Amino acid sequence: MSESGNSDSRPTDSMGRVLLKVTRLFALAGGLVLCAMALLTTVSVIGRRFFNTPVTGDFELIAIGTGVCVFAFLPYCHLKRENVLVDFFMSGAPDRVKSLFDAIGNLTYTLIIAIMIWRMSLGGIDLYKVDEMTLILEFSRWWTFPAAILCLVLLLIVCAYTFARSVREVRRS
Amino acid sequence: MTGLEYGAIGFAALLLLLALRIPIGISMLVVGMVGYVSISGVPALLNHLKTEMYWRFTTFDLSVVPMFVLMGQFAAKAGLSQALFRAANVWLGHHRGGIAMAAVGGCAGFGAISGSSLATAATMGQVALPELKRYNYAGSLATGALAAGGTLGILIPPSVVLIIYAIIVEANIATLFQAAFIPGILAALGYIATIAIVVRINPESGPAGPRATRQEKWTALLDIWPVLVIFLLVMGGIYIGIFTPTEGAGVGVTGTFLIAITRGGMRWEGFVDALLGAATTTALIFLILLGAAMFNAFLGFSRLPFFAADFFKNSGFSPMVVLLAMVVLFILLGFVMDSLSMILLTVPIFWPIIAGLDFGLQPEDLKLWFGIIALIVVEVGLITPPVGLNVFVINSMAKDVPMIETFKGVMPFLMSDAIRVALIILFPTITLILPRLLVIE
Repeated sequence: MSESGNSDSRPTDSMGRVLLKVTRLFALAGGLVLCAMALLTTVSVIGRRFFNTPVTGDFELIAIGTGVCVFAFLPYCHLKRENVLVDFFMSGAPDRVKSLFDAIGNLTYTLIIAIMIWRMSLGGIDLYKVDEMTLILEFSRWWTFPAAILCLVLLLIVCAYTFARSVREVRRS
Repeated sequence: MTGLEYGAIGFAALLLLLALRIPIGISMLVVGMVGYVSISGVPALLNHLKTEMYWRFTTFDLSVVPMFVLMGQFAAKAGLSQALFRAANVWLGHHRGGIAMAAVGGCAGFGAISGSSLATAATMGQVALPELKRYNYAGSLATGALAAGGTLGILIPPSVVLIIYAIIVEANIATLFQAAFIPGILAALGYIATIAIVVRINPESGPAGPRATRQEKWTALLDIWPVLVIFLLVMGGIYIGIFTPTEGAGVGVTGTFLIAITRGGMRWEGFVDALLGAATTTALIFLILLGAAMFNAFLGFSRLPFFAADFFKNSGFSPMVVLLAMVVLFILLGFVMDSLSMILLTVPIFWPIIAGLDFGLQPEDLKLWFGIIALIVVEVGLITPPVGLNVFVINSMAKDVPMIETFKGVMPFLMSDAIRVALIILFPTITLILPRLLVIE
């Protein structure tokens, strides 16, 4: 049911190739954050079990790490057409119709992400003004917003690109 | 319009978008946002969106999901599937149908350290299919056993679907993992029994393999020590309450990483490959989670879940009839949807209904019991036509077996699933005994 798409997931045009490189880099960076989280957990567990000294505030770092890596993963997943969809009812439809609904889906996603960037920027500014902090580490919450918004801007570009890609596919078929 | 009508229209709109191939997460997001606006107005939504994405993704509870996903990626690169299959094969292979049984056994072992059905089916398919072919197993039995065996990846904890269920109904993840363990083992035994029956009816479909010497048996068994260590450390730790699930997953990532490097020969490229695989799976899960949160915020405003629960509570339907109706609906949805989306779409409505009915169980027990039933039934969707993902994965690996043969081969295993679901519904103890014995504080 995951999207196998009506064309290869590896882009052939120069824009797509650049985007693939950049999104891949973001995904890898997120992956390294995830590895760091796992390592931190392991160290904390060993510290707590054997030396009675857990890493202070480890679960705050892990919560923040989860957020950061998920934001970094989103653009790569969308560019690779990996988002899950229900293929059953349209499996017999001509490619042109499929591409048309792909275009609608991509446009919807583009609009949603544009709204999210707008709202999250304001949300980040709100948190900056009150300087809300995590309880134990007193880590300022707004710090992750610029990183998250950067990922969302990349996602927005990917969305716009996939929209253009599906419009091209409608024309071609 | 009343909230209820909004809710009903929202549901219809969502199903329409899904049918039109709009990705599930995006469909839920857009319907949720429009529904939210129509009940609470634009300013309320705009305010909600300021931090919605941040809080949805930045949570400790969900951190366990990407970690188990990454652990599964490393486990797949650790060369463990080969060792698991060989160990099961030297013990079972000389029976009629034994090599297929060994494939199921290997899947069960891999399922105990991996939370993904697809990965389990794929990695075990790679090592078992050539052996099955070499001993002239019928294509239907070989591919059917592996497709069904793959579901053990999620039926035997760790299981991503179960984690999501736990978060929706606010249950303890570790307790749910305990509850899933015996039903998962029953699934493996049921599949092995199914193979025994299939080869009894049709002996040519699964000839016996060679008998291994005693020494070979023990050497092969010793060879799977990394799986045992990871399982005992991670899942054992979670089961008896030494680790929280997140801690267990973190330790599991580190452990499988080390094994993938030392034993599986994972190098930089393999590492990158594992990270990208984890990135894709995590992103698609979290997009659906975000969409489901938005959709459920809207449903909450519409009070549809409340009305539904109230309706069934006062309807006079027997609780069992309601439960069976849900099971049937799960199976129907499973024909077209993936398991995670089904859980996220249905449980917010189904759970309040179930919680309002009297099954003679304590509320906490009811959560476990219903969760395991839902888990099994949604997983059946992975092996039912027309879009059973496991079937496609295995079939694409066995080039000479037509798709129709694989689906035919799966049928006996579906019977075994049906019997198991019936047993678990009739005897809640199967699910509840382990959580009772191993109480986590």
